[in-house]
Amino acid sequence: MAEINKESKHVKHVEPYSPQSGTMIPLGTQKFLRTCVLWQLIRFVAINIKMTILIVKSHR
Amino acid sequence: MARLVILGAGVAGHTAASFAAKWLSETEDEVVVVTPNALWNWIPSNIWVGVGEMGKEEVTFDLAPVYEKAGAIYKQAKAVSINPEGSADTNKSFVTIEFTGQDKEGESENIEYDYLINATGPKLNFDATPGLGDGNGHLGEHTVSVCTADHAIHASHVLDETIEQMRKGERKKFLIGTGHGMCTCQGAAFEYIFNIEHKLKEEGVRDMADMTWISNESFLGDFGMGGLHFNMGGFVTSSKVFAESLYAERGMDWIIGAHVNKVEAGKVTYETLDGEIDEQEFDFAMLIPPFAGVGLKAYNKAGEDITDTVFAPNGFMKVDADYTVKPYEEWLPSDWPRTLQNPTYKNMFAVGIAFAPPHPISKPMKSPNGTPIIPTPPRTGMPSAMMGKAVVSSIVDMMKGKATEPTHTSSMAEMGAACVASAGKGLFSGTAAAMTVFPIVPDFKKYPGTGRDINGTTGEIGLAAHWVKHLLHHAFIWKAKLKPGWTLIPE
Ligand SMILES: Cc1cc2nc3c(=O)[nH]c(=O)nc-3n(C[C@H](O)[C@H](O)[C@H](O)COP(=O)(O)OP(=O)(O)OC[C@H]3O[C@@H](n4cnc5c(N)ncnc54)[C@H](O)[C@@H]3O)c2cc1C
Repeated sequence: MAEINKESKHVKHVEPYSPQSGTMIPLGTQKFLRTCVLWQLIRFVAINIKMTILIVKSHR
Repeated sequence: MARLVILGAGVAGHTAASFAAKWLSETEDEVVVVTPNALWNWIPSNIWVGVGEMGKEEVTFDLAPVYEKAGAIYKQAKAVSINPEGSADTNKSFVTIEFTGQDKEGESENIEYDYLINATGPKLNFDATPGLGDGNGHLGEHTVSVCTADHAIHASHVLDETIEQMRKGERKKFLIGTGHGMCTCQGAAFEYIFNIEHKLKEEGVRDMADMTWISNESFLGDFGMGGLHFNMGGFVTSSKVFAESLYAERGMDWIIGAHVNKVEAGKVTYETLDGEIDEQEFDFAMLIPPFAGVGLKAYNKAGEDITDTVFAPNGFMKVDADYTVKPYEEWLPSDWPRTLQNPTYKNMFAVGIAFAPPHPISKPMKSPNGTPIIPTPPRTGMPSAMMGKAVVSSIVDMMKGKATEPTHTSSMAEMGAACVASAGKGLFSGTAAAMTVFPIVPDFKKYPGTGRDINGTTGEIGLAAHWVKHLLHHAFIWKAKLKPGWTLIPE
């Protein structure tokens, strides 16, 4: 049996020419970063800053 | 002594009541809250109740002690009608209520007011789609809902049963989305489908599920806001790409531009924007109902019905919006209300879902058969609470004699919204989509091309957003309970 390419496991459920095949699908690094605690701690701070700016801009 | 009556104790009404009680605490003035529910519900977390990750007691609390502490008078009742001019017997405006609790069930009372805030939110109009409702205004037997905490408990039990059958080797079809062509609140359904998917994975049965999204949006990621554009990696990227990417990643199919026109056991019939009539089978379905006003009536001094003067045909209260019917190309940010004051009766205001929007935000579309398939505008938690606070600030200024006109504004065309949509719960395995949008109603003159500030409109998916969502759950319940420092937590 042919071996599956390492990165292809992230898209193996996508049928060619289906609507799903016309969009971006995250690969391993992107998926890892989404739940990587260290990186997400930084994103947590960033999201809170963005939301604070939005709240300040919205209150008048 | 003056009296402010607030109808509804949801996100908008409770925010208004809390600030009114605080700001009027040193005066003789009264704050009366009329709401049929004994419990306050942090509705966004109903999603987690609906997948068994939280219990009802974690998303609700008793309102009575909170209002007692705040110094507001609490009537567990539903408003039935408003007499803004009074009646033959009195010149004072009053609202007629019918008790639903406090050992006075079914009793009526007239409450006079100097100022009135209508924050009654939506009627969950299940019966607009045959089979989605039971014909008596409640959820029907074929689908589940997460719109109330009790609905979510029921949904969670049905989900558990479905998972049990999957464990025994039965393949199941899941259908989640909107149950009518004129729905809003796609975000809630979006959260539910991703939370179910996450749960199925954790239970080890994901491979036994076919998951389909069905929605009245003309493209995935419209969210009733005509979509939004983020700055992603140096590209202005549509929420269509953002949303499609997430559905494709999680192996879900989507049906868009759909008006569900019939729900039967295990099957929905729907019409699409390109005119096709089709069917979709399901074993488990959660379809958001369309929203309408709660059906309040209004009468003038002579007792004549003036409901059409005070309310729009969909039952939401008219405010200072521009309701002129005009094509999409002519819509302006200035169509949206700022003071939320009723144009006919200046001592009445409407906030949150209860105010009548001037028109949708998404471009209106019809099927070739003439069926309108248009996401109606979302009025999510943050804007609802901000409107509640702004209106109460104006009213308190008027009650204290500092002003005769509203002093504060809160327009969806001038404010942004932060929305964190859960895609699965778990301290280290959870994810959510954190989005900020500014302004909510696009302004194509100020921000040509996308209608929104590209730096203020952002989106990202990850564990951090889930932490933010969890933090907000606790922060908003803390704030709603008026615990120490509650005023420091922003709306
Ligand atoms: C499942 C779900 C998830 C959601 N998730 C999010 C989210 O993550 N983020 C977000 O920003 N928004 C979310 N929303 C939307 C958010 O819940 C609403 O925007 C918000 O609740 C609107 O506030 P409101 O005060 O206008 O209405 P509500 O919160 O619905 O409050 C209306 C109040 O009026 C009362 N009432 C009804 N009829 C009468 C009557 N006749 N007389 C007196 N009182 C009456 C009701 O009992 C209730 O207390 C979600 C909605 C749902 C359904």
